[in-house]
Amino acid sequence: MRVTGPEWGLCSIAWLLAVAVGLSAQTQEAKPSATLRGRVEMPRSPVSIERRPGVSDLGTAPPRDAPDRRRAVVYLESAPRGAFEARDLQRARMDQRNETFLPYVLAVSVGTVVDFPNNDRTYHNVFSLSKAKRFDLGRYAQGRSQSVRFDTPGIVRVFCDIHSHMSAFILVFSHPYFATTESDGRYRIDNMPPGTYNVIAWYDGADRDMRTVTIPRTGAVELDFVVQ
Amino acid sequence: MRNIRTAFLVLVLCNLTSGATAQVLPSEPIIIGDGRAVIGGDVAASIAPIDTGYFNFSDYDHTTLREIRLGLTASVRATDHIAILGELRSENFERVTPFALYARIHPWRERRLDVQIGRIPPTFGAFTRNAYGHDNPLIGYPLAYQYLTSVRPDSAPANVDELLRMRGRGWRSSFGIGNRTPDRGLPLVTAFSWDTGIQVTTGWRAVDVTAAVTNGSASNPRVRDDNDGKQFATRVKVIPATGLVIGTSFARGQYANRQLIDAEPGTADRFVQHAYGIDLEYSRNHWIGRADAVLSQWDVPAVASPLLDVPLRALALRVEGRYTIFPGAYAAARAEHLAFNHVRGTSRVDEWEAPVSRLEVGGGYYLQRNVVARVSVQMNWRDGGRVRRLALPAAQLLFWF
Repeated sequence: MRVTGPEWGLCSIAWLLAVAVGLSAQTQEAKPSATLRGRVEMPRSPVSIERRPGVSDLGTAPPRDAPDRRRAVVYLESAPRGAFEARDLQRARMDQRNETFLPYVLAVSVGTVVDFPNNDRTYHNVFSLSKAKRFDLGRYAQGRSQSVRFDTPGIVRVFCDIHSHMSAFILVFSHPYFATTESDGRYRIDNMPPGTYNVIAWYDGADRDMRTVTIPRTGAVELDFVVQ
Repeated sequence: MRNIRTAFLVLVLCNLTSGATAQVLPSEPIIIGDGRAVIGGDVAASIAPIDTGYFNFSDYDHTTLREIRLGLTASVRATDHIAILGELRSENFERVTPFALYARIHPWRERRLDVQIGRIPPTFGAFTRNAYGHDNPLIGYPLAYQYLTSVRPDSAPANVDELLRMRGRGWRSSFGIGNRTPDRGLPLVTAFSWDTGIQVTTGWRAVDVTAAVTNGSASNPRVRDDNDGKQFATRVKVIPATGLVIGTSFARGQYANRQLIDAEPGTADRFVQHAYGIDLEYSRNHWIGRADAVLSQWDVPAVASPLLDVPLRALALRVEGRYTIFPGAYAAARAEHLAFNHVRGTSRVDEWEAPVSRLEVGGGYYLQRNVVARVSVQMNWRDGGRVRRLALPAAQLLFWF
């Protein structure tokens, strides 16, 4: 049987449609829908960060806010293939307000641009000497902002060159499977791909708790941590 | 021995910080009792060749470019309105001295009013309160706050000829009245000890005003009053725009001690120092610029011919800048000049002290956030004295928490 030109064309279209529908169904099936959630138990009252003794000052320093240090970050130690695909440019923000960085802990993906607006009436000078990102934004006044793009995964310790009691953390991840806890320690990471992973709870620079967990195709897995 | 100690400390600090950004050393102050007590500290180890011209000596035995300085500061919040603050310092592991110890009273939480009583921070100038630690971008101290003139608190020249013979010898001057043992003279305003008394600071919007009554003088602070005279000092600081600070200072006090007053009875109120200062700081982006002028006038009673019929005046001018080259590294420079008024001796009219100029250029690299390695080269010129020109390279390692 001979297949004429128009028939050949119709067959091709039908075949392409079938492949497309099949692939779509396969993709929907593969899209992860599991959730990892739980709670990180942190110290009830972390030691506050104080100014250095202002012995040479002529008076009392103005009041400042205390940073909310009751935040942990939960993340996968290593992520499955496909988690490292290029994503849209993301922006995040770390304020400088009442001589405090807000938030104290910021978790972002690689490639994120973080804005550092100054909301105080005094100068600030945001800088970091961390291996993951060295930068120095210089001094800028209230209402102005400077930005830094974080291209390397790692932990970036942020300071102010003028106010030694100001510090914060930026955690940069090469995958999207991380979450910052609420003040009560609760966290939630959605769209987890199935598999067995090491999950780490990071707290305030030095404290970590690592657990191993198996994530199913669907549903929620509870995983709690304790950091001191 | 001092060099061995310095080298040892430098090695220890270098070893501890070899991880560069690893933050091996603590960077936060020690906090006790939920923030009620806070303890901070500084360690600075400086090395340099021997300063044969005594350009950087703070007294006959100590040069600011070759020393190990340890400082421990503490504040204790006694109540919501009262805090006790203090600082201990030691140079070259010698005796520990209480540099500061005072009570700070903050009567109203919402008002900018503070009263400080005890061994308090200097009211005069800006540098005197920034001298220690990372506020000083270079290793050396500014001339106005460190360079020793021939004026002494315990000894005075009988006539102008005697005064002129001590030109350029402030590190070890001697005169005929009072204590005749050679000893160090006075800087215009000292950065090496604090005065004792009461200090009140208040402010409104961009203006801060401080006034103090203390036992000593700007050049010769005292723990105990030994001349029955008090110093009055005041400072007005204005911040017209973010990053711009303008300050003016004035101080008047008796600088002579009991030994000199007893040697010349009835002259207690004639050994008076007046000091006038203006300072300016402007910073923006990666730049910080500072400038100040300090005029000091010491009144010395005329005793014998050729009579010292004018006060001894000294004017110090300073300009300095700091630029952050890249994260963790900066360059800095400071240019200064110290000038003196003329007096008429038997055979010549000359400045009563040898004018000094200094240029210091250097930079620093942060091994970690609170550990800085600095190097600098200091050029000194003096129109008098045994050594008239001297270049001094120096290195320093500074750590604070």
